[in-house]
Amino acid sequence: MTDVTLSPGKATAAVKRPTGASIGPRWSNALFVAPYLAFYLALLVYPLFKGIWMSMLQSDMFDDTSKFAGLANYYRLFNDKVFIGSVWNTIWFVVMTVPAFVAIGLLLALALNRSDRTSATLRAIFFGTSVLSVTIVTIIWKMMYMPGNGAIAGIMRFFGMEPLAFTTTASLALPAIAITTVWWIIGLPMMLFLAALQQIPGELYEAAALDNASRWRSFWSITMPSIRRTLLVVVIYEIVAQFQLFGQALLLTQGGPNNASRPIVLFIYEQGFRSWNLGYAAAASEILFIIMAVAALAQFFASRKRVEE
Amino acid sequence: MRKLSTVLLAGLVVTAGAGAALAADKTEISVSRFFGACEADYGSVTDVTKANGECGIITALINKFNAESTTTTVKPEIVEWPGYDQLTARIRSGEPPVISVMHEAVISDYSSRGLLEPLDEDFAKAGIDVNDMTDAARQGVTKDGKIYAMPFDTHTWLWHINLNLFKQAGLVDEAGKPILPKSTDELFAQAAQFKEKTGKPYFISTLANETAFYTRTFDTLLYQQNADFFADPNKVNFSSPEAKGALQLLADIYSKDLTTKNQDYAASVSSFAAGDGGVFICGTWLIDTYDQEAKKDGALANGYAVTAFPQIYPGSPRVWADGHSWVLLKQDLSDAQRASAIEFMKFLWDNNYEWSRTGHLPIRKSIIDSDQFKNLPHRADIASLAVNGTALPSAVKRQFSIQDIEGEEVGSAMRGDKSVDQALTDAETRINELLANAK
Repeated sequence: MTDVTLSPGKATAAVKRPTGASIGPRWSNALFVAPYLAFYLALLVYPLFKGIWMSMLQSDMFDDTSKFAGLANYYRLFNDKVFIGSVWNTIWFVVMTVPAFVAIGLLLALALNRSDRTSATLRAIFFGTSVLSVTIVTIIWKMMYMPGNGAIAGIMRFFGMEPLAFTTTASLALPAIAITTVWWIIGLPMMLFLAALQQIPGELYEAAALDNASRWRSFWSITMPSIRRTLLVVVIYEIVAQFQLFGQALLLTQGGPNNASRPIVLFIYEQGFRSWNLGYAAAASEILFIIMAVAALAQFFASRKRVEE
Repeated sequence: MRKLSTVLLAGLVVTAGAGAALAADKTEISVSRFFGACEADYGSVTDVTKANGECGIITALINKFNAESTTTTVKPEIVEWPGYDQLTARIRSGEPPVISVMHEAVISDYSSRGLLEPLDEDFAKAGIDVNDMTDAARQGVTKDGKIYAMPFDTHTWLWHINLNLFKQAGLVDEAGKPILPKSTDELFAQAAQFKEKTGKPYFISTLANETAFYTRTFDTLLYQQNADFFADPNKVNFSSPEAKGALQLLADIYSKDLTTKNQDYAASVSSFAAGDGGVFICGTWLIDTYDQEAKKDGALANGYAVTAFPQIYPGSPRVWADGHSWVLLKQDLSDAQRASAIEFMKFLWDNNYEWSRTGHLPIRKSIIDSDQFKNLPHRADIASLAVNGTALPSAVKRQFSIQDIEGEEVGSAMRGDKSVDQALTDAETRINELLANAK
């Protein structure tokens, strides 16, 4: 330890830079974040800008002679009925699924927020579907939806009803995919809500009980404010995730019938891998990116404003 | 005793080692294919004559090749039909299979970008006489004057018929042959009679999760009216009265409940075998499967017939057709790999008769003209397809994407999701947009 003497007149000369914890930037510390930063730049930032650049090119999958097309791909997209349809399909799908994830996930979490064996088993069962691959999930639901020998058709016939053709009827195809998706991954929001519920101190509920607060009142005044941040995480995560609907639509309906269930990612896939039109597919990807960013940010700011109020 | 055991053990080790060394000496090539997976039934079958159906025969053919070849091991990579998305991704990522099955309709998309190896010289060296190829097969694999694939078959669209139900409906003549419509009016009259007598729909159709039925049937109906909808290979024309008439016909079949609805491919294939309808409009590849089914007890027992798509318009008996072929993907192949690839193609060429047992038409004139082929079941009933099978002009790009779009729009109109006029306009607009941006 350096002994510093601050005598008058010699103070300036005597003061030395303290050792130990340094003050000011120490660039060698950047090494700690360098690996992450390198991957972040290579795998996220670079592809983002490369994608923006590609969206302004007229290029195909195997052609190295791409030419600059400016905003032509975007102009073409906004005049493409199939793309516009896929945008509305995707938004409608998000509107159907995100509230369902929040409501059903929260209900399941509230119902299973107990330490008995039955609740633990049910938690495992509800989360169990999340580990299945999209292929397995769609095979299961194809068997459910088949109008001839499907399980739902059998139930409907038992009650004397005419079976519905879920995947081949324009008005039912997207809701059918939404039901499949909610069944598939309801486990994650349920677990997130459960984790949040278990953080709420029991004393709060005891105090509320002493004040004769109803269960409904406790839910609104204790539970909901306590899990507010988790709610925000679930909503934003699900918005971002469900805008990227792809596998279920590809395997269950292939976007049909009559474009009724084609999401944006399926449109991008078809343009890129089937029509080999990479520039056009990249432009559609950028539109999807903007829509997702706007939706997630809007939800974030709306929730933050409510919290501040 | 101990010495004897040691000697036996040493012998076993040496034998196993020699076997492994021999296997290691063989060149392995990857072959990407669809046609399904049936290892459980045919995984160890090397006698091709004991295999049936597309999947069984191709699996047995590869098993036989692997058992007989002293230089090559084929490693099959099975993909979901049609597999082009996966193939495209693999080419783009620099890891294509050595050989891939490919429809002749899409060869030009890949060959025009230099993604396929021309094979003329290899075929000449291997003793493959390209003059023995049928005209349809040779045209299908020849692009810009070069042969880019080993043709495997010509397949077309036809009617599989449940004769037992036809008899019940009174639609069989004195010779026991099915009575088929010769006009659209006859089609509706016979379909109504069939429904009345059997209580079942006349047609079984693959209307769900697939566009092939719509495109191939619609194209056939256009060919029958001599509609030249790709007179300009860069522009489709669906604004003709012929196109409107053909699509309205399909919409009427659907709205009058003359077909099964909402069945995907697997469901419709088994539905026909179960006797749920009279006519299954599908391809040549099911002939052998249903012929085997007719030999068992069941709805098709001794009651299966097949015929070329009946001519219901007074123009032409032409029908949609395409062909399967095998391509060699361009990549850094060693001489041994290339030689192995050609060896496998030569094997398929030599065994083309076995593949024609599926129901597909062979690609060798010598096999088509052989008694062996002519004596296969039902081949006389579909002989006309060799002449009448019609593919889109080879100058038309992106044929599989076009078929998808066309099928989607035809399906929308057939099911009543949009009007016939709107569907034809949308199909034309979307396809022409695709072609305008295709290089």
